[in-house]
Amino acid sequence: MLRRVAAWTAAVLVGLVLGGASAWATLEIGRGNFGERYGAWSHSRATGSTAAGPYTRAIIARDGLLALSAREALYFNLTQDDQGAPLSENCSYELTGRPLNTRWWSVTLYADDSFLAQNEDHAASIDASHVSAGPDGRWRARVSTVRGDAAYWLSSRNARRDFSLTLRIYNPHRDFRASEETLPALTRLSCLGEA
Amino acid sequence: MKDAGKYVWTAIIVALLAHFAFIHAVPRVMMWVAIDRVSSEGARYNAWSFADRVTPLSRTIVRPSPDFAYSACAYNLSDGPVVITATPWDAYWSLSLYADNSDNFFVVDDREARAGVEITLIRRGRTPPPDNSARVVESPTTRGIALIRRLAPDLESYNAAAEVAQGDVCAPVASVTPSS
Repeated sequence: MLRRVAAWTAAVLVGLVLGGASAWATLEIGRGNFGERYGAWSHSRATGSTAAGPYTRAIIARDGLLALSAREALYFNLTQDDQGAPLSENCSYELTGRPLNTRWWSVTLYADDSFLAQNEDHAASIDASHVSAGPDGRWRARVSTVRGDAAYWLSSRNARRDFSLTLRIYNPHRDFRASEETLPALTRLSCLGEA
Repeated sequence: MKDAGKYVWTAIIVALLAHFAFIHAVPRVMMWVAIDRVSSEGARYNAWSFADRVTPLSRTIVRPSPDFAYSACAYNLSDGPVVITATPWDAYWSLSLYADNSDNFFVVDDREARAGVEITLIRRGRTPPPDNSARVVESPTTRGIALIRRLAPDLESYNAAAEVAQGDVCAPVASVTPSS
């Protein structure tokens, strides 16, 4: 009798662990392969939507609770560089883009815990009201632990490994179309320890 | 040994149920935590809180934008409708409402409401209060969060937004309706 109770209990416990672990793994995998992809950027039009499915809701709740629906704002996340590697504070990157066809945009750097990196550089974000394009029609921002000679800078100091960038596009114009060409591009410049 | 199949099937069924329960629970639990924080652990419903400027120390909501001044109100409709107003701001601003499963079921911004906005928030299916002249919005859940975003990318504009935010209202209709 006791053996039977123990076996049922073990079966239920194993089921709970498997169910919880598989759900967690699904959210982790979904986080990096979420919705539509435009180059390295990922985006879901279902963000904040009342029509969002349970998986979308769960992923958004973990990484962007209280996000606005696509009617108001579009959110794009970037977790890898141009070579497919996770973003790391041991590397320097250049983010380049053309002015976006929207009322306002920003790019913000988040550490792997989805909060701002723990530094006092006051360089967690760049936005449309402060960034202007050069003669070639493109703006350039450095993503690194130090500013150097960069005109615009997103500080990755204390962002550790697996940090991410979020592009917010508010009130996109009617003819705005997200694509690999219209969204900013991130290029890895160098990493510590590289020759 | 012959019972092994029963235990395996039980584990599989429990795993499937746990998987879907977990997925459904994540946004609700995250919202409960957020509502709890915004309402000061349930002590302050139906009142705006103007958030400190977003810094690396901000830990209330994930992925906060340092370019916005946020006002948040944890609403609770269990005692009746709530009136919510947003004072206009001279750059982008919006008022958005979130159900307790994280759905953004209402949003209005300065393009649609240049002079600000006033809404009466009621639980879905309930009747609006008599003599109500404000726009009525139905919440799918009894509790949720109202959020005002005001674009304020620097300290000067953040401080100005803090002053403007003092004119916002989030309060039970009964408390703002003069008794006859």
